[in-house]
Amino acid sequence: MLAGRLEAKGASLSVKHALLGLLARGPQHGYELKAALDGELVPLSPLNFGQIYTTLERLERDGLVVHQVVAQEERPDKKVFSLTPQGRAELEYWLSSPSSLSLDLRNETFLKFMLAGLLRGRVPGVHPAAVMAAERRAAFDSLHEVARARLLLDPDGSPPEVGLLLDLASLRLEAFLKWLDRCDEVLTRGASGAPDG
Amino acid sequence: MCAASTARPAKGSVTPAVEAQGLTKAFGSGPTEVQALRGVDLSLRQGVFLAVMGPSGSGKSTLLHLVGGLTKPTSGKVLVGGQDLSALNDDALTLLRRRRIGFVFQFFNLLPILTALENVALPLIIDGVREAEATQRAAAAMELVGIAHRRGHRPGKLSGGEQQRVAVARALVTEPVLILADEPTGNLDSTTGDQVMALLRRLVDERGQTILMVTHDPRAAAMADSLLTLKDGFVAHEQRLDGGRSAGEILRELEGLS
Repeated sequence: MLAGRLEAKGASLSVKHALLGLLARGPQHGYELKAALDGELVPLSPLNFGQIYTTLERLERDGLVVHQVVAQEERPDKKVFSLTPQGRAELEYWLSSPSSLSLDLRNETFLKFMLAGLLRGRVPGVHPAAVMAAERRAAFDSLHEVARARLLLDPDGSPPEVGLLLDLASLRLEAFLKWLDRCDEVLTRGASGAPDG
Repeated sequence: MCAASTARPAKGSVTPAVEAQGLTKAFGSGPTEVQALRGVDLSLRQGVFLAVMGPSGSGKSTLLHLVGGLTKPTSGKVLVGGQDLSALNDDALTLLRRRRIGFVFQFFNLLPILTALENVALPLIIDGVREAEATQRAAAAMELVGIAHRRGHRPGKLSGGEQQRVAVARALVTEPVLILADEPTGNLDSTTGDQVMALLRRLVDERGQTILMVTHDPRAAAMADSLLTLKDGFVAHEQRLDGGRSAGEILRELEGLS
């Protein structure tokens, strides 16, 4: 699944603030919130209902939203949520604060690269070059998917915002591939110094 | 004489569009000899889009030149549409290049004094096709790549993206068995580059065109079906880019969300 493969590891989207932002446009029930999230805010990686309702409960507990039960004919009552003044203040604070960009200093690929170097020769079949080749393969597969998705969206009339999301995914993968080239350079240099490479 | 015909073989026929066997190329001799390629094999089915990547000096441009019959290998051979290039004399090789291979370059290489249409028709005119027919086929090729409205413009009046479209039309006009593209996005901004890549992709998907593209741009390479990475004149890495899912599946997913 596109979403599953491309999801930024570690970076978690604030469902809380997404919901506060949607409710700032006016009261809505859960289903409407879900549709707006999927359609506009998180278009390529749908959230499940469970996540949305759990977050709404927490927001209500913290006094950021309130709900009203609206009776419906022949259907279960629905909860309509709206923003409290505290909720609006929290939203405005969040919107004006820069997002925390992860420096990713506990990077998993780096960890594998280093460990493969340490274990090379001790554990059969382990080699940093093989680790990096597998990473490169996976990154190109993902980049191919992003490219295909962009192509399918592009021909006409796709919302440009979705294109921006795909661009971000693409640029990250391109940067990662560039970094893998650096790793290769380091490996090659190491190998030419130590002929057992 | 040349055994190559201008007819485009049907997609899926058994003859690969391109084959390279044990390809090596050395430049210079003695102590200054440089081994640009040290034994490369490849086989490209018709209707497949192959991207060749690698750092500068890895041999990727040399590979492109050998496959295009622009230089001769030191050893090994190249077959284009089943035709062994080493079996051809210079005249026959020129004819094969003209009729069966289309070239797309980084800097477009259009003739500035000719209009876009005349540039596209040129390979046919040189090949002796009557002017009326050449013009008609050139116009059709320009239509196909979405640049027909610029037929009367000289290259200097066209944007980079438009010039590259004209160049793609020129590469297509002979209905070649193979298009060779050398850094086709190298001189374009990323949006225009994406559009040119989308065009090349469409030629593969809709017309079964075979393309071999050399690039250092991973974003462009990711549009291909397969990726070949060269390093120090060897194939360091080979990969099919299918990502495990078809384009149709991705599309359905995106449609379901809109």
